[in-house]
Amino acid sequence: MEYIVQTNNLTKKFGKELVVNGISMQIPKGEVYGFLGPNGAGKSTTIRMMLGLMKPTSGNVEIFGKDLKNERINILKKVGSLVENPSYYPHLTANENLEAIRKIVGVPKARLEEVLRIVRLQDVANKKVKGFSLGMKQRLGIATSLLNNPELLILDEPTNGLDPSGIIEIRELIKNLSREYGMTILISSHLLAEIDQIATTVGIVNKGKMIFQDSIEKMRMLAQQQVILRVSQHKEAWRVLLANGIKTELAQGAIFLEDGSDHHVAEAVRLLVQQNISIYRVEDDRKSLEDIFLQMTKEEFVK
Amino acid sequence: MMLQLLQADLLKIKRKGMWFLAVLGPVGVVALQMVNYGVRKDYLLQQNNDYWGSYLLNTSAFTPLAIVLGIAILTSFIASIENETNAWKQLIALPISKMAVYLSKFIVLSFMLFVSSCLLMVFTLAFGLLLNFDQEIPFLMLLQYSFFPFLAALPVLALQLWVATVSKNQGIPITTGVLGVILAYSAFFLPDWMIWKWPTLVNEWDNPVINVWLGLSIGCLLYMMGMFDFTRRDVK
Repeated sequence: MEYIVQTNNLTKKFGKELVVNGISMQIPKGEVYGFLGPNGAGKSTTIRMMLGLMKPTSGNVEIFGKDLKNERINILKKVGSLVENPSYYPHLTANENLEAIRKIVGVPKARLEEVLRIVRLQDVANKKVKGFSLGMKQRLGIATSLLNNPELLILDEPTNGLDPSGIIEIRELIKNLSREYGMTILISSHLLAEIDQIATTVGIVNKGKMIFQDSIEKMRMLAQQQVILRVSQHKEAWRVLLANGIKTELAQGAIFLEDGSDHHVAEAVRLLVQQNISIYRVEDDRKSLEDIFLQMTKEEFVK
Repeated sequence: MMLQLLQADLLKIKRKGMWFLAVLGPVGVVALQMVNYGVRKDYLLQQNNDYWGSYLLNTSAFTPLAIVLGIAILTSFIASIENETNAWKQLIALPISKMAVYLSKFIVLSFMLFVSSCLLMVFTLAFGLLLNFDQEIPFLMLLQYSFFPFLAALPVLALQLWVATVSKNQGIPITTGVLGVILAYSAFFLPDWMIWKWPTLVNEWDNPVINVWLGLSIGCLLYMMGMFDFTRRDVK
């Protein structure tokens, strides 16, 4: 598989504190990579190192197959970024803000109008950014990051602090960019629901360590619902079910049915009743992605 | 690439009043002489037969103060443009070298001070002509008193730019700026090695050219040190 971004054991120390601890991230081409983790997990620091804003304590970053340390400028020509809170020049208009960056990245002037149209700010192009709402500033930030027609777009918490309609708007925008322009996008967030709706690949980071990295489908599989049977003699019940070819697990004095379909549950109950095992309860164990996320981050915490 | 960066930096200082300050400085320096000569022209002319020479000397008494004050204000303005919304992180993530970013700021500020110096020369000459001394105009001296203080002040510019760009807290460059102004104000009592004295063009050898060379060389050195420290730092 072709990886647009690959970090190898990326580590950053601030003083004695390990903020990023050996993160190896792989972003396949054309994916929307959701970079997930609680606040302070090291997401922003990782992103800053990917953009050359901070130097890694150890490890390296490869983007487009080139080492960032040696070819920072060549790489950044094809990267667009928005890091945390939007940066802008409040005393300038939206157009002038874009122009100040356009001059440096050296794209034709017509590009200003294009990017403003993409983020739907063309009507306020000549208004000072000082008076913009947070959502508009965020969109202007995205417009700025799109100026150079990037192949890789890095958005750090692009929906942070936005109201629900603003969040939906940004989400649609990101989906569009991925679909219509085939951009590879890295989007970080501390909200799982956010990532769940747009990402195709997920990386979860906690306490500076990558604790999960795979496709969103794989993550959803972890969240599949199970059915719990609480019975009188659970060990015997478990053996009966296994002997009849039903996949189960025995844990905490209860039986977990991996396949929770109606047919399977009915079959299992029937078998147990036939063996004179009392069934106390049949429950759904609905694990949301949220639970899994919390569980993953909590396990790390206990260690 | 440097040219585009400069254009971008010139665009960013729009509507910040920096150009206004660059004009206000020389206007203020000459305006003080307008008051001086307006109130006691006859007395002043009695003091010295070289009318133009003493006029230029009077004018130049306030130039160093204006320059050091101007440097403190302009550097802190130009840094605040990027600091306000932490636009450094957006700027440094662009495909340009960090050295170029720093150099561009320095060039823009030097250019503004150069324009101020040109205006100082024009205003000084204009008011001098208005005073009607009826003596030959000492153009060489006029040039010296207009541009030498700026060149001798380059170390202060390099130092202030460095402090302003690397400080998260803008109170620090303001403090060093104010201290600089106080030092420049009391330049008479300072030893020759202090950079805040150099714009006064006074030294124990009585040769202003020394201050210019010192300004250029030490200015260059301080600039390099500031630039390398700027490129070395992480952008938060």
